[in-house]
Amino acid sequence: MAMIKKLSVWIAFLLVMLALPQFSDSILSVSIYNQMAIAIIFALSYNMLLGQGGMLSFGHAVYFGLGGFLAVHTLIMMEFETVYFSIIWIPLVGGLFGLLAAIFIGSFSTHKAGTVFAMISLGIGELIAASSLIFVGFFGGEAGVSGDRTFGPPLFGVEFFQDVEIYYVAAVWVFIATVFMYLFTQTPAGRMANAVRDNPERAEFIGYSARRVRFISFCASGLFAGIAGGLFALNYEFITEENLNAATSGRVLLMAYIGGLGYFIGPILGAVILTLMNSLLSNYSDLWMLYLGIMFLLTVLFLPRGFAGFIMMHQVAWLKGSLKNLALPYLITCIPAILFLVGAIGMLEMSHSEDAIFHFLGMELDTSSTITWLAAIIFTLGSLFATSKSLPQLRDAWEEANTIPEVVKEDES
Amino acid sequence: MSILSLNNVSKSFGETKIIKAVSLDIEQGEKHAIIGPNGAGKSTLFHLISGRHNVTDGTIKFKDNEIQNKPPYEIARLGLARSFQVTNIFHRMNVFENVRCALLWSSNYRYSFWHLLGRQGELNDQAMHVLDQIGLKDKALYPSGELAYAQQRALELGIAIASGAELIMLDEPVAGMSHSEAENAVELINRITEGKTLIMVEHDMNIVFDMADRISVLVYGEIIATDKPENVRGNARVQEAYLGEVATSA
Repeated sequence: MAMIKKLSVWIAFLLVMLALPQFSDSILSVSIYNQMAIAIIFALSYNMLLGQGGMLSFGHAVYFGLGGFLAVHTLIMMEFETVYFSIIWIPLVGGLFGLLAAIFIGSFSTHKAGTVFAMISLGIGELIAASSLIFVGFFGGEAGVSGDRTFGPPLFGVEFFQDVEIYYVAAVWVFIATVFMYLFTQTPAGRMANAVRDNPERAEFIGYSARRVRFISFCASGLFAGIAGGLFALNYEFITEENLNAATSGRVLLMAYIGGLGYFIGPILGAVILTLMNSLLSNYSDLWMLYLGIMFLLTVLFLPRGFAGFIMMHQVAWLKGSLKNLALPYLITCIPAILFLVGAIGMLEMSHSEDAIFHFLGMELDTSSTITWLAAIIFTLGSLFATSKSLPQLRDAWEEANTIPEVVKEDES
Repeated sequence: MSILSLNNVSKSFGETKIIKAVSLDIEQGEKHAIIGPNGAGKSTLFHLISGRHNVTDGTIKFKDNEIQNKPPYEIARLGLARSFQVTNIFHRMNVFENVRCALLWSSNYRYSFWHLLGRQGELNDQAMHVLDQIGLKDKALYPSGELAYAQQRALELGIAIASGAELIMLDEPVAGMSHSEAENAVELINRITEGKTLIMVEHDMNIVFDMADRISVLVYGEIIATDKPENVRGNARVQEAYLGEVATSA
């Protein structure tokens, strides 16, 4: 029964991915799907390090980027007919190169977790990013390298001129990579990664070298980051230093963290949310990076287990059937909270606006008028006050919805 | 036949000598207690044997293997398991996972990333059996970090004995427990170490004299006596150095 349930989740996952272009196959949509696909694999691979293995890396883009660079070079080789195989295997090429880099770098960086590991990862990241501007032959300097994915043999008549064709390749790779990363968590090496994360010392006293356990996770993580990099190369047909520098490393950390490190599905959520913000919000506001930063801060402060953790918090209430009792309290808190957000965003946008008249939600606001600002401040603070006033009732409702867990536990086991 | 022998083992931290030329033979199958006042070096001695610390001098032999200065995991693989004075579990994993992880190496899974643990019927049965022994079967899916103290201590024991090690070292297994909890723990220890060699550090003299076949008294890094409980009780040097009032009151 549990087996069928699990299997159906996976099948649904695959079907949703394959069906996405049916809902919308505009160039923008497909471009977002492809970014999501790449981000999902990349964020899951990052979670193998931080969430599963307790290794905080500031340089995970190295494996993504290196995989991507070799993938583009493979495309170039295809153009000159040095190699000839279907481009659906390009992500694997990237993955193997990511793995190779991880084997080499992991051989010394996984000696310790914690600060030592974090510092080494930062150093390696800077080193590779700097090298990419020095070894121009491979990295192509600031311009990067570019290839053409249409020189490979057609697959069932498909020549991959269009991005949507790449999307189907990407969807299958996301599925394969996700399945394997999930299965990895169910193996002795994957479980011991959790054990070493929790307590490296005790792991050694039950027969496991913490370093070796970390090394295996690190290599697996490099492999999947490389696959994501290979997909990136397939999708964009070019890659630059930007794709392996600290900014990209930081972005994948944000994705995994905002989504929720402790849950397998967390990084997937994070990848989807951040990709959407990245591509949609950036159309509406120049300040979207600021909003992203604020969102990260709020997540760290109030949802330390990320969005997935927030959803899982409702498990007990759901099993108890008391989830519906929470709907009204949530609504009561959400209304002033949303008003507060509107007010805060409005003020931020107003101070950013260069025009005298600022259009916001159908209103025409005079950015130079004191009265406008005063009204905005009063509105924002007022809704903040209302939000804080509504919190006790939410807390009480929450307590009530989550008590008597004893009965629920019996059901679970 | 001795299963573990320490030969002139010394340990210094900087200038300070914590362990001074200790020699000790542990017989196969015996229950051996190490007692001594606070700061005598009991835990350090445990750390030296189990590989947490390197020795400054001397040799430690376990089943004909020299194990001094080896990493803990190599020593553990030879069949030497230990528990800790401060609870040392995998706190974010559930109780079942804790015990199953402790079983992995001895069940020969090594660093495998091609076995799916859910399908290893025998391994999972074994883990459940250990949970049954330590009385945590109904808490199998409970996050181990949220167990009550005595239950965490039981899990601590479970992790130590799961691998089926021949030599089990317990560092103050009943410390911090109430009287009835301690009684249960002693009974549990007796049950799960049946037929195995046990070395334990313990402060509760009633438990020590009750459980141990032999007792070593460690004072300021030196073993001043190793003998049967009744002889240790009567040993003048021990009484003078350490036991004094305890022996008379016990």
